[in-house]
Amino acid sequence: MADPLNVGVNLEAFSQAIHSIQALRSSVTRVFDCLKDGMKNKESQEARERSFISDFQDNLHCVNRDLNELERLSNLVGKPSENHPLHNSGLLSLDPVHDKTPLYSQLLQAYKWSNKLQYHAGLASGLLNQQSLKRSANQMGVSAKRRPKAQPTTLVLPPQYIDDVITRIDRMFPEMTIHLSRPNGTSAMLLVCMAFLITPTLDIWSKSNYQVFQKVTDHATTALLHYQLPQMPDVVVRSFMTWLRSYIKLFQAPCQRCGKFLQDGLPPTWRDFRTLEAFHDTCRQ
Amino acid sequence: MEAPPVTTMPVSGGTINMMEYLLQGSILDQGLESLLHRLRGLCDNMEPETFADHESVYLLKGQQASPFVLRARRPLDRPGAPWHLRYLGQPEAGDRSRHTLVRNCVDIATSEVLPEFLQEMGFRMDHEFVAKGHLFRKGAMKVAVYKVFRVLVAGTADGAEPLSLSYLVELSVVAPAGQDSVADEVRSFAEQLRPLVQLEKIDPKRLM
Amino acid sequence: MGVTCVTQVPLAEGKSVQQTVEILTRKLEQLGAEKQGTFYVDCETYHTAGTNVGTTAQSGKLLYIMHCSEHPLSTFALFENGPCLVADQNLDVLMIKLKGFFQNAKANKMETRGTRYQFCDFLIKIGTVTMGQSGRGISVEVDYCPCAVPGDCWNLMVEFMQSFMGNHAPTVPPVFNSKHDALYSPADTMMQYMELLNKIRKHQQGTVTGMRL
Repeated sequence: MADPLNVGVNLEAFSQAIHSIQALRSSVTRVFDCLKDGMKNKESQEARERSFISDFQDNLHCVNRDLNELERLSNLVGKPSENHPLHNSGLLSLDPVHDKTPLYSQLLQAYKWSNKLQYHAGLASGLLNQQSLKRSANQMGVSAKRRPKAQPTTLVLPPQYIDDVITRIDRMFPEMTIHLSRPNGTSAMLLVCMAFLITPTLDIWSKSNYQVFQKVTDHATTALLHYQLPQMPDVVVRSFMTWLRSYIKLFQAPCQRCGKFLQDGLPPTWRDFRTLEAFHDTCRQ
Repeated sequence: MEAPPVTTMPVSGGTINMMEYLLQGSILDQGLESLLHRLRGLCDNMEPETFADHESVYLLKGQQASPFVLRARRPLDRPGAPWHLRYLGQPEAGDRSRHTLVRNCVDIATSEVLPEFLQEMGFRMDHEFVAKGHLFRKGAMKVAVYKVFRVLVAGTADGAEPLSLSYLVELSVVAPAGQDSVADEVRSFAEQLRPLVQLEKIDPKRLM
Repeated sequence: MGVTCVTQVPLAEGKSVQQTVEILTRKLEQLGAEKQGTFYVDCETYHTAGTNVGTTAQSGKLLYIMHCSEHPLSTFALFENGPCLVADQNLDVLMIKLKGFFQNAKANKMETRGTRYQFCDFLIKIGTVTMGQSGRGISVEVDYCPCAVPGDCWNLMVEFMQSFMGNHAPTVPPVFNSKHDALYSPADTMMQYMELLNKIRKHQQGTVTGMRL
C-alpha cells in the first residue's frame, strides 16, 4: 500500500490524516478541559482524586492513540511530490538566481510567439485558399487535397514499356542518338545527342555557358509543359522528340519572320510547336 | 616508361636543359613477380600502373655525320591520350664518381598527327617496337619494368612477339642539369633492388 | 572554343592602322560587345638549313611555329599545306636542338596583338599585325563558341561580321571547305592566322615602304 511512487496521489491517506489531526486536536482539547475543570464534586477527597486521575489518564491515552495514528498516516502520505504541472520547466521558476538565467521568461515568450504564429498562419492559409493560383481553368473548384493525388498514377509506366517507346523513337530519328539510363532508381533519364552539339564535359545540372543553349533549354522546358496527353504518354514523348529534332538546324535556319540569322547575337532559338518553323524569341508572336 | 615526365617546370617556352639520370638492368621472367613485390613495398603508395606503348624511332639525315634521332610513343592502352615525342642527347657515362648515366632529354606531348608531321619535316622511320610492362614511382624517380616486343607488321602493334625471356628494368629521374645529388638517390635506390636485379650504367655506344 | 574565322581588314581611307582599329572597336562597342582583356598570336618561320641529302622534296619548305594566348601552354607547328601539330611548349626547346636542320628566320617573326571582345556567344579579337617594329595591318578573328561544325554556322557568322565590318566581311576560309562537316579544332584557327600573316608579309616584301602606325 505504501507504494512510494503513488505517495503523491494517495488522497485516501491524506483525508484520513486530516481526520486524525482533527481527532488529535479534540483529544488534546479534552485533556486541557479536564485539567481546567479540576476535580469533580465527589463524596470523599479520596474518591475525587481517584476519578480525576483516571479521567486524566484516559484523556492522555486518547492523545497518545491519536498521535500514533497520525504518525502512521503521515508515513503513508509521504513527501510532497516533485511533479509540477509545468514539468521540469516549472522548476526554472524556483531557480534562486533568477536574474542570471532569464530562460524561464524567454521560454514563456517563445511559447507566446509560437501561439501567435500558429494563429496568423491559420489566417493566412485561409486567405490564400480563397484566391489560389490555378494553372488552368478545369482545376477550379478542385480541393487542394484531392488534386495532386489523382495525376501521378497514370504517369507510372512499366520500365519495359518505356524502353520500347524510346528505342522506337530512337530509330525514327537517325540524326539524334537517344541514350536511356536510370541513374537513381526507377526514374528514367534521356540523353539526346545531336550532331552539332559539342559535349566536352556533360553536366546535366548546371547551365550551359552559351546563351543560345540557355535559351533552347528554356524553350524545351516550355515544350515539355505544352505537350500533354495523359492517356497516350508515348505520343507525348514522340511529339516532343519531333519538336526537339527541329533544332538540328539551330545555326542554319534563318528566322521565318525577319529573315535574319541573328538578333541580339542569338540565332532563332524558338521552334513553333505545330509547324516547327524557326523564329527568334522576339519574332514569334 | 613513357608516362609524362615527373619533373616538369612550366617555364615560358618550355623547360630548357633537362637531364635524364638513368640506370638500366634486366631480369628474367621468373624473377618478375618478386621484383614487382619488392617495388610495391619500396615505391610510393600508388595503384600499380601498367602500360603498353608503341615506339617508333625516326631519323633525320642532314649534312652532319650523325643523324638526328627522335622517338615517338603512342599508348596502346589509353585511346585518346597524347603522343609522346622524345629527344635524347648523347649519353655521358662519366667516371666512377658519377653514379648514373646522364643524357640531355626533351619530352613533348603532342597531337596524333605526329607521324605525318615528322614525315613532312623530313624524318624517316628507322625502327619500331612495342613495350609492355609496369610503372612505379618514388618521388621524382620513375621505375619502369617492361618487355620489348618485335613488331612484325610495320606500323601496327598487333601480333608483336616478345624479343626475349626477360624484362628490362629502368630507373630514371628527369631533373635540371647539374643536380648530381639526384644520381646518388638513383644509385641508393638501385642498391635496394640487389640482388634481384643489377642496375648499371649501360652505354649503348659500346654495345654497337 | 567553337568555329573561328580569321580575316584581314584593309585600312580605312586616309586612316592609320591605329585609327582603323579604333573605328572597328567603336562599332563593336556600339553593338554591345564587352571588352575582355587582350590577346596575342605569334608566328616564327623556320627554313630547312642547307640541302638535305636524300630529302630534296623537303628543301625550300617552310615550317611555322606559333603560339597564342587562347592556348597559352601549347605550341603549334605547321607547314603551309601540311599537317598542324599541337604540342606542349617543350617543342620550342626541340626547335633549338634542331637548329642544325631548321633555321629560325628571325626577321620574319610576326605577331598580332590587340583587344578581345565578347558579344553574346561570339568572341571577337581585333589585333594589330606587326613585323619587326612597325604595324603592317589589322587582323579580325571571330569565334562562334557554341558550334563546332564550320558548315553549320557560316551564314550566321557572315551576318555577324557584316554588322561591324560592313562589306569587308570575308568569303569562306579554305579551312571551312576542307572540313565542311567535320569538327573544327584550334589548329584550324592557327592555319588561318598563318595564311593571313603570310599574305601580309608577302605583300610587305613586294612593296618596300612601311605603313604609318
